[in-house]
Amino acid sequence: MIRAFEKRAEQKISGFQSPAADYLEGRLDIAGRLVVDPHSTFYFQMKGEAMSSVSIHDGDILIIDRSLSPKNGTTVIAFIDGNFSCRIYQVINSIPQLKNDTGTIYQTEMDTLQIWGVVTSVCRNVLPKSLKTGKCRHVCAL
Amino acid sequence: MFALCDCNNFYASAERLFRPELTGKPIVVLSNNDGCVIARSEEAKAFGIKMGDPEFLVRDLIKKYHIHVFSSNYVLYGDMSERVMNQLGRWFPRLDVYSIDEAFGWLGGIRNLESYAPKIRNAVIQNTGIPVSIGVAPTKTLAKLANKLAKKHNGVLVLDTDEKISDAVRDFPVHDLWGVGRQYYKKFEALKIETVAQLREMPEMWFKQNMTIMGQRMYNELWGRPAIPLDEIRETTKGITVSRSFRNYIESPEILAEALALYASRLAEKLRAQKLRCVYLQVFLYTNKNREDHPQHFPSHTHKLLIASNSTTDLVGIAVKVSQKLFRYGIKYRKAGVIATGLIPESELQLNMFSDHDGGKKDTVSAVLDRLNLAYGRGTLRMATEGYEKKWRLKHEYLSKGYTTRWSDIIQVI
Repeated sequence: MIRAFEKRAEQKISGFQSPAADYLEGRLDIAGRLVVDPHSTFYFQMKGEAMSSVSIHDGDILIIDRSLSPKNGTTVIAFIDGNFSCRIYQVINSIPQLKNDTGTIYQTEMDTLQIWGVVTSVCRNVLPKSLKTGKCRHVCAL
Repeated sequence: MFALCDCNNFYASAERLFRPELTGKPIVVLSNNDGCVIARSEEAKAFGIKMGDPEFLVRDLIKKYHIHVFSSNYVLYGDMSERVMNQLGRWFPRLDVYSIDEAFGWLGGIRNLESYAPKIRNAVIQNTGIPVSIGVAPTKTLAKLANKLAKKHNGVLVLDTDEKISDAVRDFPVHDLWGVGRQYYKKFEALKIETVAQLREMPEMWFKQNMTIMGQRMYNELWGRPAIPLDEIRETTKGITVSRSFRNYIESPEILAEALALYASRLAEKLRAQKLRCVYLQVFLYTNKNREDHPQHFPSHTHKLLIASNSTTDLVGIAVKVSQKLFRYGIKYRKAGVIATGLIPESELQLNMFSDHDGGKKDTVSAVLDRLNLAYGRGTLRMATEGYEKKWRLKHEYLSKGYTTRWSDIIQVI
């Protein structure tokens, strides 16, 4: 949000043109590293600790890319028993299964494993509560 | 060759993507104000629910068959549409977005269409989650026809030979043909023309005489000679409208003013987004014409601005003032709207000799307004006339969330 207003400051130069003007590269933006294709990217949020053994915790924002097909070891979002669920996709003895800390679902238990998308990365706010206020209260939080 | 890509039951599919438990279950989506059915899943169609059915008429069916009802969530559909169109755009040298859920693609220079088209379809379905069907043919009219047939096949139909085209048109009903409205259909009916194959066999002169230039184009298109190029259909905007039904009837001038202030301010935003100003602002009010027991009143007035404007303060001021003149006590108003016409580009402003122009100042105010509302969300800074409670606002009892547009609405996974 701040960025939208910042641009104006750059445009108005009252004195001398910056000697760096010809060498601008554009500042790093984390979105470019997190999102491969915005048109196939969705965001979900982890609720609870069913994935804590692989370090995905309550409140983490998950970045999901639908364009990928899961391979062994992929973190995925699946639709299981009426709920979206975060799971690890594994293929053991060529039978796919979906595992998290609450248990394992085997393909044999369902017609098909309903995989909604692949989790490419996880975003987490690591600030202590005392700093998670003011302008920082929305860092990786809803 | 042209392709027509069309999302299957788009609104219902978009809702279902985020509610997978509704896969295979009947869904209907209602229009603004939850008035009529505007989209149905295949299952809902099978229960006999028709496009445009008023909600109260199908209420019993909805209950009986446990049909899931959604209010129209245009925020969600708009975003999903953008995703689909962007995915499609990668597969065609040129793409013409025809509506929220369909686009024509030009396939010039691409070979092996029989294997190419399914690839497009699979990629869109995988990447966006929205099912699409693709019809491919030498003309837009035939591509549209192929698309309708593709829906009944496995989602793709390529008509790349004369034989395939002849097969496709053989039993295709003329009333489903692109460009055939009620007028033309009556003519066909009188001549007992029922299928596109029959229509196609009519002489070219007949098309010209009975359907003017449109007929000639249709004739050529049906025989595989492109007569409607990409992009050509789009009309230049002559007017921009913002109109909505109210949740309940409005019977007080103050409340009516609130509604018109909001519509006018949306209209000003739309004008500015397109870099246009308007010379005329029309305000209209509707009563419910289905209620014969209510007194009816459909007043409308067009105000001519001295100097063309797209400023929120100008348009809101006029809309409110006009609405107060149109308003009659004792009438139950159901809907109102504002229409901007006489549109001119922002850069071509004609001043008036007899009036002061403080346009520069107003443009600055508008720019600040747009910038704040873009950064902090629509309606953050607004005219006080719009009011706070907005009790007249649209009814959308079955609205789903902004899963892809609002952080507070993203899906929680366990």
